[in-house]
Amino acid sequence: MANHVGTLTSPSTRTDVPHRAAAGAPLLHAIWRFCRRKPLGALGGVIVLVMIVMAVFAPYIAHYTYDETIRGARMKPPSAQFWMGSDNLGRDIWSRVVYGARISVTVGFCAVLIANVLAAGIGITSGYLGGKYDLCVQRVVDAWQSFPFLVVILSIMAVLGPGLLNIILALGFFGAANASRVVRGATVSIVQNVYIEAARALGAGHVRIMVRHILPNVAATIIVWATIGLGAFILAESALSFLGFGVPPPYPSWGGMLAGSGRSFFSQAPWMAIYPGLAISLAVFGFNMLGDALRDVLDPRLRGAGGRVR
Amino acid sequence: MRTYVLKRLLIAITSLAIASLAVFSLPRLIPGDVVQLMLEERAYGKDLDDLRAKLGLDRPIYVQYFEWAGRVVRGELGESLWTKRPVLEELGRRLPVSLKLGLLALLFSMSIALPIGILAAVRQDSLADYVARSLAIVGLSVPGFWIATLVIFLPSLWWNWSPPIQFTEFGVDPWAHVAQFIIPAFILGIASSAAIMRLTRAQLLEVLRQDYVRTAWAKGVRERVVVLKHSLKNSLIPVITVLGIQVAQILGGTVIFETIFGLPGMGRFLFDAINQRDYPVIQGVNLVIVSVVILMNLAVDACYAILDPRIRY
Amino acid sequence: MDASQSKLTRKLSRRDLLRTGLAAGAMLSTESALASRHAWAQPKRGGVLRVWGYDPPHFDPHLILGGKTHNTLSFVYSRLLRHKVGAEVAPGSFIIEPDLAERWDEVDELTYVFHLRRGVRWHNKPPVNGRELVADDVKFTYERFLTEKGNPVRYMLDAVDRVEVVDRYTVRFRLKEPFVWLPNMLANPMSTWIVAREVVEKYSDLRKAETAIGTGPFILERYEPNVKTVFRRNPDYFRSGQPWVDGVEWVVMDDAVSALAAYRAGKLDCGGWHWWSVRQQDLAAMKKSHPHLGYQDFLSTVTNRIWMRTDKPPFNDVRVRRAISHAVDRQAVIDAVYLRGEPSPAVSRGLPEWSLRIDQLGPGARYYRHDPKEARRLLADAGFPQGFKTQLSGTSGLGADLVDALQFVQRQLKEAGIEAELRIQEYGAYMSTTTQGKFEGMAMGPFAISWEPHSPLYGMYLPDQPRNSSHVNDPRLTGMLKEQMRIKQLEARRKLIFDIQRYAAEQQYYVDLYSVGITGSWQPYVKNYAPNPTFDYGGRAAALWLER
Repeated sequence: MANHVGTLTSPSTRTDVPHRAAAGAPLLHAIWRFCRRKPLGALGGVIVLVMIVMAVFAPYIAHYTYDETIRGARMKPPSAQFWMGSDNLGRDIWSRVVYGARISVTVGFCAVLIANVLAAGIGITSGYLGGKYDLCVQRVVDAWQSFPFLVVILSIMAVLGPGLLNIILALGFFGAANASRVVRGATVSIVQNVYIEAARALGAGHVRIMVRHILPNVAATIIVWATIGLGAFILAESALSFLGFGVPPPYPSWGGMLAGSGRSFFSQAPWMAIYPGLAISLAVFGFNMLGDALRDVLDPRLRGAGGRVR
Repeated sequence: MRTYVLKRLLIAITSLAIASLAVFSLPRLIPGDVVQLMLEERAYGKDLDDLRAKLGLDRPIYVQYFEWAGRVVRGELGESLWTKRPVLEELGRRLPVSLKLGLLALLFSMSIALPIGILAAVRQDSLADYVARSLAIVGLSVPGFWIATLVIFLPSLWWNWSPPIQFTEFGVDPWAHVAQFIIPAFILGIASSAAIMRLTRAQLLEVLRQDYVRTAWAKGVRERVVVLKHSLKNSLIPVITVLGIQVAQILGGTVIFETIFGLPGMGRFLFDAINQRDYPVIQGVNLVIVSVVILMNLAVDACYAILDPRIRY
Repeated sequence: MDASQSKLTRKLSRRDLLRTGLAAGAMLSTESALASRHAWAQPKRGGVLRVWGYDPPHFDPHLILGGKTHNTLSFVYSRLLRHKVGAEVAPGSFIIEPDLAERWDEVDELTYVFHLRRGVRWHNKPPVNGRELVADDVKFTYERFLTEKGNPVRYMLDAVDRVEVVDRYTVRFRLKEPFVWLPNMLANPMSTWIVAREVVEKYSDLRKAETAIGTGPFILERYEPNVKTVFRRNPDYFRSGQPWVDGVEWVVMDDAVSALAAYRAGKLDCGGWHWWSVRQQDLAAMKKSHPHLGYQDFLSTVTNRIWMRTDKPPFNDVRVRRAISHAVDRQAVIDAVYLRGEPSPAVSRGLPEWSLRIDQLGPGARYYRHDPKEARRLLADAGFPQGFKTQLSGTSGLGADLVDALQFVQRQLKEAGIEAELRIQEYGAYMSTTTQGKFEGMAMGPFAISWEPHSPLYGMYLPDQPRNSSHVNDPRLTGMLKEQMRIKQLEARRKLIFDIQRYAAEQQYYVDLYSVGITGSWQPYVKNYAPNPTFDYGGRAAALWLER
């Protein structure tokens, strides 16, 4: 399983320049500049947008509902009626892919939300408060992080049983460990800034400082992490489907379609697997590209001098 | 230096202890205890209790934990509840398989990731950067089991070829032994290469802006020397961290590849054990994986201390 | 093909076809599959059979329900009686013949005596060291069968009171009640393997591979978990000549795609899936690319059914159960999910001697008709004009096929007004709860495998039986089941078994679904082999030979 560890902070003691939001510049202008500078990222963004649109407007885009079996339409190749062909139960694959976007978006976004909320809570408090608290919490995170992906997920799934909510919880719980490390790293470098000390001297409470000063500056890190995490979770769900622990029927998940009957019927009806596989790949590609570009843009240290370093 | 390593060692042991608690309690949370599964029927109620007592499952949890911990420290991981084979013996057979798969995958991963990462950093935002990064991400975007399926299915359809059907030990045929890992390791390597490539690129970009590098440019040192000699070493430090994490992920997470390619590794061992509620095996495998990871982190920390004198926290 | 055949016949008839009849027959047939069935061909020694196999969770025959262990043990052990093997045995026929017992007598209703072969030797491995098999071994085995805690198939021999040794080669079974199926039970390749006392005493149980010491055609040489089991030929096997192959490699390949690729590449001698078959989804492509392989269609003897809490409302009302049966379109599920199969009554269609076709079920046959309108009408009669909500449990651990079938059936139930919430369980949880009757609402899946009609009927319909998952308690049915156990005359017994199936179809305590179609396959050089869905892979492996 790919581990999307791309640390934004190196374990050095350099202080970071606090990031200034592009205050004053309208959002659209910023997006346009982003597209010009980072075309790949923009492409990723478009893919993500398409996916979200598909998820939200699924009933209008799909031709049938996801579990509707059409008589006499078993394993038909792609045609005018069935844009992506039909599966062995006579269900339209295009419709299932569209509704599958809903599942992927739901699983992805919710899991990422859980993971990053947990990560923010643990990472920021740990990085800010330091001391014994930090030491203890980081040991727990160490232990947590040392469990490989499938071990954690399978154990949790075995405990909770298959189910949409359970997958979200399992993935979120697993993702929080790595994310919290990164957030803590970013927090540590911000905490060393003078203005934090100044705020403390002025009598600001811990919580206020964490929420008003640290959180906004760590937000960039979290956003990048979340974007790439979405891609990873979609892949993770497909791996779980292969093992029988994926999103349970009748909900159509791309992973379930690919790993289940798609794989089973590949000899006879390859389109049952090709289209969900393409959907997964495009989505993960999009999220990763977008995340990479966002990181390049939001992390000032990585902004190139506009081309070759010469 | 010595205090640093000692301090990290202490930290590692603490992490291990905490992890062992999780390792022990996790399988016991799974519903449907092993005795019910083994007997597979409901009529013989008294038998269930007898079997539980025989397996020591009727005593309080903390007693069971301390007994288990005590035996672990002495090197005994217990016996499988199903097969009665010692867990340690079985692990001894499977750990090398998983390790070889993991290390070979890392080798492939690095040989793809490092060149691409360096290229992408040095030619940032150029076409080469885009193409290289896109390729790496594409490798990551397709689910591993799907690549594996195509790699097995299509050649069998076109050329009646298939990968080896059974696992060959090193002693029996060294070349066949290595060969059977190549395809799964390559596919695994592709997936993790993207992460390493990204990290290499990011770290190298950072280092390339450092003052001492600019000095080298100003002095007119050639690009290749600047990149390879001065910058690369420093930017690789976090990459080593990631390598450590990747090995950990591979150790327990390869059940899919092991199933498809017929490799008797730790992933399948664990997966079957979870399905069968074989507590000693689940605990034993988890403990070993967790220990390897923590040890790996410790080794990485020690490497840090050696490589970068500034790192001492 | 036909034209050239007749031309050849005419040519040969000029040379006195009668004289060379048999030889001409052999020359005329060009299909290698047909040739492999001719029993007069000379067996050829040698070669190692490489086949798709299972990884047994452990090796103890008295502590396991699943086939994985028994399939593996079939190479190493023998039983008192067995089912005939060989190319001339059509799949679906389970003909009882002597194995370790060379003949048996029914002394009276409650007593059976078995006479053992003389000179049968155990494998030459410690602690048994190749000594002779004696009656005491049989007694020991069956006492263990009857008393070992946790033997899930003990109910098979519920009627047996005790086993006695008469003399060195004679064993007597004393029954509590008349039980004409005793020989069939003893021939089932499930937990009936004869084991040796010394091994159990030395190792305390038979879980480890080292304890697999029997009197069977192969000796277990090496067991590699998750990889394979290697067997070598037993030179002292009591069927002289067999086995013809030098050894067997029982290779574990859990992934269907890899196994098919291996079979295609010629690395497996028989089909790479359960029962040495080619999956229906791959069959069309295989037949096109590999037309020279042997293929044989047959039906599974596993009963696929929906079981439900008939002890609670709403399923205690027979109209509700009949409505469910009307709602399910069995043929559609077969066509969509399994591609081949046949709707089945309480006894699987894979047992053609004992099973009725749906149209032969009498009044109960109408409930097999797919009729959602009629289902709604019945539900309204039963007091559910709007239908009702319930659960449908199943598992993901038995393959994607079952999950597809569950979804399909769920949709069909919806059309009839039954809102069934799909509850997919992980395999372990499923085995320890749902299959043992601990569930709510309905559940669906493959239920039991059998080679005679008694075990699926008796174990599932009798009130105190552990596999009575539908919680059935029907005195008339109980009476019929107890009666058929005592009828000696085969035709009369068959008639009662048919009546039981008819009654079961009317009552629908279990909504029986279908028997799935299977296509066995083997390489053209594998001779004297015919697939048959029993666990006795060892027997079939011992009878075949490789010609290459």
